[in-house]
Amino acid sequence: MDWKNAVVRARRGFRDEKRLYFVAISSLTVAFVCLGGALVGVANLGALAERWGQSGRLTVYLEDDAREQDIAQLRMVLESLDEIRHVDAVTPDQARAELLSEFDNDADLRNLPANLLPASLELTLAPSTSQQRTAAIAARVGQFRGVESVDTYRNFFAQLDRLLATGRGLALAIALLVGFCVLAVVSNTIRLSVARRQREIEVLKLCGATDAFIRRPFVVEGVLQAFLAAFIAVTTLAVGFIAMRPQLDSTLAALLGIHVVFLSPPVLVSMLAFGAIVGGVGSFFSVRRYLAV
Amino acid sequence: MASHRDPDKSSARPFAFFRAGARVDPSSANRPILELEDVYKYFQREKPTLRGVNLTIERGEFVFITGPSGAGKSTLLQLIYRKHAVDDGRIFFCGRDIARLTATSIPHLRRNLGIVFQDFKVIEHWTVFENVAVALEILEMPLRLVRSRVGEALERVGLGGRGDDRVDCLSGGEQQRVAVARAIVTEPALILADEPTGNLDPHLAIDILTLLEEIHATGTTVLFATHDHSLIAKRDHRIVAIEDGRAVEARHGLRSWQGARGLRVVDGGSSDSTRSSTDDRRSANR
Repeated sequence: MDWKNAVVRARRGFRDEKRLYFVAISSLTVAFVCLGGALVGVANLGALAERWGQSGRLTVYLEDDAREQDIAQLRMVLESLDEIRHVDAVTPDQARAELLSEFDNDADLRNLPANLLPASLELTLAPSTSQQRTAAIAARVGQFRGVESVDTYRNFFAQLDRLLATGRGLALAIALLVGFCVLAVVSNTIRLSVARRQREIEVLKLCGATDAFIRRPFVVEGVLQAFLAAFIAVTTLAVGFIAMRPQLDSTLAALLGIHVVFLSPPVLVSMLAFGAIVGGVGSFFSVRRYLAV
Repeated sequence: MASHRDPDKSSARPFAFFRAGARVDPSSANRPILELEDVYKYFQREKPTLRGVNLTIERGEFVFITGPSGAGKSTLLQLIYRKHAVDDGRIFFCGRDIARLTATSIPHLRRNLGIVFQDFKVIEHWTVFENVAVALEILEMPLRLVRSRVGEALERVGLGGRGDDRVDCLSGGEQQRVAVARAIVTEPALILADEPTGNLDPHLAIDILTLLEEIHATGTTVLFATHDHSLIAKRDHRIVAIEDGRAVEARHGLRSWQGARGLRVVDGGSSDSTRSSTDDRRSANR
């Protein structure tokens, strides 16, 4: 296989069809930007789902007659766990005061008895604690003496999870759709480029070139065009991300409690590889239809 | 025959015969360069374009293939360079039946042929050098050898020193010379010229004919398809006319038809049958 000759001929193709190359790479770049944008959306929804999926706190409600000794032992166990950052004890009075402050010291609520709410331990979890681990801690803590119940707030977050899963699925579907569009744009762009050089293929065939000999420079060109387009798209997205990150970060942190994330290195590499493969395969099949001379 | 990967051995004929590693029958050197046996080609079921064509072309011949438009001249040449396959019959090129070549062997057949077309089939945005060199690049010849052989070919067609010119800057006649240079640069055994003067004015047509005759003078066999009788009338080469799908031939040009019995119908089973010279002239002039 004489790939050196194929590269020389591909370079000749670039020299002769600069405008077509420019149009092809531009079209492919737009397609890859759309794909990258959709993937960034999926990545951020994933981050949001992950962040919100972690409730970040647990409330351990204590029995009214819980002994100080049991509570101290429980605190000691809880504080020894890596996933638990803080343990705050809340007395019934503190709980009542907090409730009243939330309702602006409503007169009716002020008449409620002092021991209306149970004493509790408020646990702050490490951000990386998974839902499964949170549930396991809750189950274990629930078995301690003096513990009435443990609230993981899963019901609230389960609904949020469903909402986010729907959003994530939608974003993934859009990414897939964009992926198909990219395939179509790549193959059509390359087909157009090959069609313009139909005469060249015909001449090569009539001079005795094998199909492989004819295909090689087109495959090289297809790989280069699509790889270059994917690279430009990724760079454009990265530059845009870096430029907008401060504003986005402060807004999203305030609204949703997350930091905006970019595509991970494996996704970036996959996108470049996807570009190169789609370009090569697209060229391979586009040339095929002109080989019957 | 040398392998096309061995440039030193291959300078005379730089490619394998049909495909790399193919064994060549030594006796084929004594056989005619081209033999058509009872060749049929159908594009329409009821009306064959070629019906039982029998034809033998000896090495070093210059043969005009003529006939009215649509008679099948181009089809005949296309069967030889395997653009199309025969529906029936056999075509021997250097003793090998090319009617039954596999698709992978066709490129190797074409490397043994030089083909010139009416529409030149040059790549206009390439330079003259690139257009001619492409035939050698296919053979994966070293660049040094490509340069020298393209230079020689361009000298032979009168385009010496024009290698760097873009083809779209050349006249029609010059473009056809580029096509001829591309056809001869591999030093093929047989040149197929399919109406090479069809797009040229009479003066340039004679130029191209003369050029192909000069190439023929070096020992190359030339099949020259044309319907231009004024061109045929100027030379005494063998003429094969395609008429009603059959080959009718005059061995020594139009002038030999005057009262002679030189025009023969060459078809399946009646290759020696003759027609009257009056009928011959009528059919040839049609």
